[in-house]
Formats: sequence, structure tokens, C-alpha cells
Amino acid sequence: MIGMILIGIGTGFVLIGTIGILRLPDIYSRLQASGVSDNAGVGLILIGLMVRSGLTPISLGLGLLLVLILVTNPIVTHAIAKSAFVNRHSGEEKE
Amino acid sequence: MTVVEGLLIAAFLAVLGRLFAGPSPWDRVLAYNAASNRLVVLLAVLAAAAGKEFYLDMIITYAGVSFLGVLVIARFMERGELHR
Repeated sequence: MIGMILIGIGTGFVLIGTIGILRLPDIYSRLQASGVSDNAGVGLILIGLMVRSGLTPISLGLGLLLVLILVTNPIVTHAIAKSAFVNRHSGEEKE
Repeated sequence: MTVVEGLLIAAFLAVLGRLFAGPSPWDRVLAYNAASNRLVVLLAVLAAAAGKEFYLDMIITYAGVSFLGVLVIARFMERGELHR
């Protein structure tokens, strides 16, 4: 029951992030929508799956996947934002 | 669980629309990262429903390889040689 509630909240976060990626006007706004709500949604769905599957090797693998995604997703968001900012800033100054 | 899988597939396809129609290259990289996140979560839901723990090894490998690819592309585009 608790697992299903967590999975439902996480799916809602993922859908909100999808609407944000599709509808927001700027690249930085889309990065905000993607980076923040994807972390929350993915983390909640994986925690819900861990709660549902109990103390098994599947739960251990889901925990490793959760740690990997929670470490790597902010790094990717930061790298894309820095790349877009550096290029657009210097390109506008040059022309 | 079927409802969750259907919603994740719908989110994956909607993000692929942004990947095909993104105005700038950073939009495409961002959409690729978001689509790979949704695919990883969808595969994790399927693996937990099937009860096979060796699916999760492949999912962890895919997440790591996708992270490295997106990071390398972003660092390439930071030098301004790929998008002109």
C-alpha cells in the first residue's frame, strides 16, 4: 500500500516534468523542470519498488540504481546548463 | 502497475517529441537525458514486476553508459565545435 502510494506520487512528478519539458519556453526553464522533478519522480518510484519487493536481491539492485541516478542526474543537468550558458554568452558577445 | 507502465511509456514518447523538434542542440541533449531516465525507470518497474534480478545489472550498466555519453557530448559542445 505504501509502495503503491510512493509509486503514484513519483509517476505524478515524472508527468509534471514531461509537461514542463514540452511546454516551457526557454532552455534554462526546461533544465529546471527536467532536473528537479525527474530526480524526485525517479527516486520516489524506485523507493516504492524497493518497499514493494521487500528484502530481496532485487531490492539491493534497485538501491544501487537509485544511488547511481541520484548522483549522476544533477551532474548531467549542471553540465548541460554550463555548456548552454558558456556558448550562448560568448557567442552573443562576439557578434 | 499496468497504469504506471502506460504512463511512463506516454512520458517517454512525449519527451521523444521534444528530442525530434528541439530548437537548439542543448534541447536535444536534455531531451535525450530525460528520455533515458524514463526508460531506466520503466525497465526497473518491469524488472521488479518480473522478479528477475539480473535484469537490474543491465539497467545499471545502461544508466552508467547513458550518463557518460551525455556528459561527453555536453563537454564537447562547451568548446563550441559541434553545433556550428
